[in-house]
Amino acid sequence: MSQNGKSHEHDGMLINRREFIKKGAVGAGVVAATMAMPGFMLGKAEAVDLSQLPMKYKDYNVVFVSFDALQAAHVGALGYSRNVTPTIDAMARKGFNFTNNISVASWTVPASMTWFTGVYPSEHRLTNKFSVFNPPNNNVLSNLKKLSPELMTLAEVLKLNGYATGGFTGNAGVNGIFGYSQGFDEYFFEKGKFGSMGVSIPKGLEWLRKNKDKKFFMFLHGYDMHGQNVPDEGFDYRFVEKGYDRKFTGSAAEQEALREEGLATGTVQLRDEDVKFWRAIYDEKIQRTDAKFKKFLEEYKQMGLMDKTIFVLTCDHGTEFHEHKRFDHGFSLYDELIHVPLIITLPKQKTGSVIKDQVSSIDVMPTILELLDVKMPEKAAKQLRGTSLVSGLKGKPVAKDVYFETDYRQYTYKRGIQTKDGWKLVYTLENKTRELYNMKTDPHETKNLVDQEPRRAYELEQKVFAYFKSIGHDLNARQWIPGLNPVYDSQAKGVQKK
Amino acid sequence: MMQRLCSCYGHLIGSVTAALIIIMVVFCSGRSVSATETAPLPPERHEYTNVIMISVDILRADHLGAYGYRKGTSPQIDKLAGQSVLFENSIAHSYLTPVAQMIVFTGQYPRQHGMVSFEVTRDQVSKRTLPEILKYYGYETAAVASSPEFFMRYDTESGKIVNPKDIFSRSFDYFGRTMPDETGSTRVNPVAALSWLKANKDKKFFLWIETGMLHPPYSQTVPQPYKSKFDPPGYTPFYDRFPIRLGREVVDGGVPTEALFHVYRGDYYLDFEPIYHLEQKDVDFIRGRYDAGVYYTDMFIGELMNQLDSLQLSGKTLVVFNSIHGESLGEHGYYFHHDVFDTEVKTALMFRFPKNEKGGTRIARQTQGVDILPTILDYLQIPVNHEAQGASMMPLINGDEAGYKGSEYAFIDRLPWWEYVLGGWHLEHQTEREAQYTPLEISRMKGYQALLQEKIGGGQYPPECIAIRTNQWKLILRERHELLENISWWNFISGKKFPVEPVELYDLVRDPREQKNVAREHPQVVEKLKARLLEWDSFNNRNKAAAPLGPLMIIPYP
Repeated sequence: MSQNGKSHEHDGMLINRREFIKKGAVGAGVVAATMAMPGFMLGKAEAVDLSQLPMKYKDYNVVFVSFDALQAAHVGALGYSRNVTPTIDAMARKGFNFTNNISVASWTVPASMTWFTGVYPSEHRLTNKFSVFNPPNNNVLSNLKKLSPELMTLAEVLKLNGYATGGFTGNAGVNGIFGYSQGFDEYFFEKGKFGSMGVSIPKGLEWLRKNKDKKFFMFLHGYDMHGQNVPDEGFDYRFVEKGYDRKFTGSAAEQEALREEGLATGTVQLRDEDVKFWRAIYDEKIQRTDAKFKKFLEEYKQMGLMDKTIFVLTCDHGTEFHEHKRFDHGFSLYDELIHVPLIITLPKQKTGSVIKDQVSSIDVMPTILELLDVKMPEKAAKQLRGTSLVSGLKGKPVAKDVYFETDYRQYTYKRGIQTKDGWKLVYTLENKTRELYNMKTDPHETKNLVDQEPRRAYELEQKVFAYFKSIGHDLNARQWIPGLNPVYDSQAKGVQKK
Repeated sequence: MMQRLCSCYGHLIGSVTAALIIIMVVFCSGRSVSATETAPLPPERHEYTNVIMISVDILRADHLGAYGYRKGTSPQIDKLAGQSVLFENSIAHSYLTPVAQMIVFTGQYPRQHGMVSFEVTRDQVSKRTLPEILKYYGYETAAVASSPEFFMRYDTESGKIVNPKDIFSRSFDYFGRTMPDETGSTRVNPVAALSWLKANKDKKFFLWIETGMLHPPYSQTVPQPYKSKFDPPGYTPFYDRFPIRLGREVVDGGVPTEALFHVYRGDYYLDFEPIYHLEQKDVDFIRGRYDAGVYYTDMFIGELMNQLDSLQLSGKTLVVFNSIHGESLGEHGYYFHHDVFDTEVKTALMFRFPKNEKGGTRIARQTQGVDILPTILDYLQIPVNHEAQGASMMPLINGDEAGYKGSEYAFIDRLPWWEYVLGGWHLEHQTEREAQYTPLEISRMKGYQALLQEKIGGGQYPPECIAIRTNQWKLILRERHELLENISWWNFISGKKFPVEPVELYDLVRDPREQKNVAREHPQVVEKLKARLLEWDSFNNRNKAAAPLGPLMIIPYP
């Protein structure tokens, strides 16, 4: 793969392209810009083609892929300059590329369960690894059935509609024990690992060979891009600048240490060249993952399933590379953590469309269900908080205000809103601090405007609290006290409750 | 918006050529079409409505004509009441001035807003007050206060906040206070508000006018002839006939606080012995002096209202009139305010809307101090702060009883601030001056102070004295009634032990003065109200919630 990657490019273009997308340029100017970018292929002829799509796909297959921890800014189809996602970009070109899709949460457990339940993390309640944390021995893992027995999952609805359902994952945050396996005939998670698609894809293909003649729903997931995963074959450092002093090697242990330093001190001490190194490592992981996915698609094509399948390519959350002086994800709700790709390709779709309207990962489940035109159990229909994006696929405006949240290791509790006109407010519950950003003029969230825009901050805060109250979560109803409630077993060791 | 612009332009160019006018019309109507597409919003009330809040400390609603008093104490307030929507049963949640007014300013119970003692720091108290929110919406905010509780940390001489603990003055662009009169008290009518209004009439403003004139010593700052207007004819005060400190010069500085502090259940105590039993005319005199303060305050309110008319502000100003808390005038044996009886927690409350809208409406249903902020914001079309614990009363005002989301229960915390102050600087101060206490009393005061400091010192308030009130009932739980008995000032000064009941229930319909505890007669009422009160107590006890969690950490969703 290394010869394919246009290695050693600089990241300079990243910002410009990303800002371009964020600003949602419209009108004539966009034509010139799209010429230069792989993801933008709108034209007259294509528009006609799109309008001929039926938008109803009863009994078609669905392949839902989560590239865990893929930051939007590192995706070619979303404006990244390094060619690390050629396969994903190609799918984006022929499909619907939602360039402003915001996840409901910034780490795997809460964010992923929202795809499968269509409700916010506050509602499905998988907001922490443990539902009871009483170290060392009395911990109880969170589980969807126990925490929210009334919720139906996407897999359950499809199973009821006669689908074969299979999930093939890298474990950890999408561990079946959390309830991710609910509704799946077969659900693979390699115990004790932040597993790779190198394992989950072959398992998935094996299952496909057995089920390809049925209608099926397949969830494919891997941690290949995540900080806690390193390639089995090791790094070749293809994007690392010559002359880097190798202070870091890219190991999971280093990455974990940086994360913990950030949490403990609020700021990770890193040189610019270290940040560049970590981005280079990240790009290598992304490129390797993209190649694995390419192989999957090739095998999938050989099975003759492409024209019978809807693909949903997305990711649960991004990750931070020192944009806000920390590392990893979960602890904040900045754009690098919640802005994620969302690409939907429809059977026989030849040409794509870029949809800049702001949408949310809460909309994914209703979109899939509408496309498949399934029979909806009343219970499931009632629970969905999002709105189907099918009208967006038809060219209608679907932009909306989006809400997001994170409860992270009992370290912090945050809730936020990003309005469709580009204002973002994040409220930290344990200390009542607020951050207000104008995403149009300050996409990197560097200038907190709470004091300059007190009225806007006040009104957005009211909106956040009113919204969560409207879905049954009065954020004033309890005291939010940060403690130390680890997510990962390795962190639980030695931790004593206060 | 477009309509107004158009008519404005039209007016300006009225004498110009017809062609020009046509161009303007085309321009305007063209814009109007696009404007209708985006649905032009009418201006919201906060864009053009001033707010004046008049807060009278220690004012008992039932000493106003508008609330049924028949002594002519309040002709001007009564006139205001006729133009206003009047709340007959507004409950303050507290009988302590800074605590109760912070409830009004935040819409939060004291446990939530944090203003629970003189020792709290700024960071411990909710910052998002009414003036703070109104500032977000472009209001000029000003205050003129006369109760030292609101500015004792504020130095007007230097114009600086001299103590960072100051809490009430923040969020006010101008925080004025009254200057001491010849008696040395700042508790005079806050007339500086009149000049502020004159100078700022063209701004959009929030003005808070606060007066503490009614505070003991009753009628201290009221000038003659008003001071003795309600005195029984030919009366000589009992405290001048039985002076605490012999040889003290007799000047009429109002009914002395220390004299009132020596009266309990009709007996006047000296050296822990009753020396005189008050007669009706003594009681009438004390209440008359209180009424003199009401009357003199009323004169100021009249002046203020006239000023609003003459500055043509009445039509665009919401006037909120509230009493911060009431006063016990002997009904429960004591004078002053230090318990949760209606005499102390029931307040006057009126809203005069621009153009006297709904004027004369009277609302009998119980409402609460926490409802005031939501009501004002709701009227101004400002989103109500989610931290507010009350509900807008606008539905009640508009005749939609079911639309009112406020609680039918009012919860009252008895914070022992008063005992805390006694145990701290108050007695210390008095002892040093050897003022108005006998040598024997002073000799025993040290022990009493030590007791207070031991029991409630260091900010360790026992929160176990709480009450719940409905339209019909009031239940008071005094879980640590023995402690309350031990630390009672009245027991100290009388040298006796008046028992404190652990549970009190009053039927407010049959017994509005709360004279007869009927807890034993209505065990089911007690149980029901107690359950509700304890639920509120456990839910709202933020001090406890801040403590480390119990042995199990369960994912914190209800």
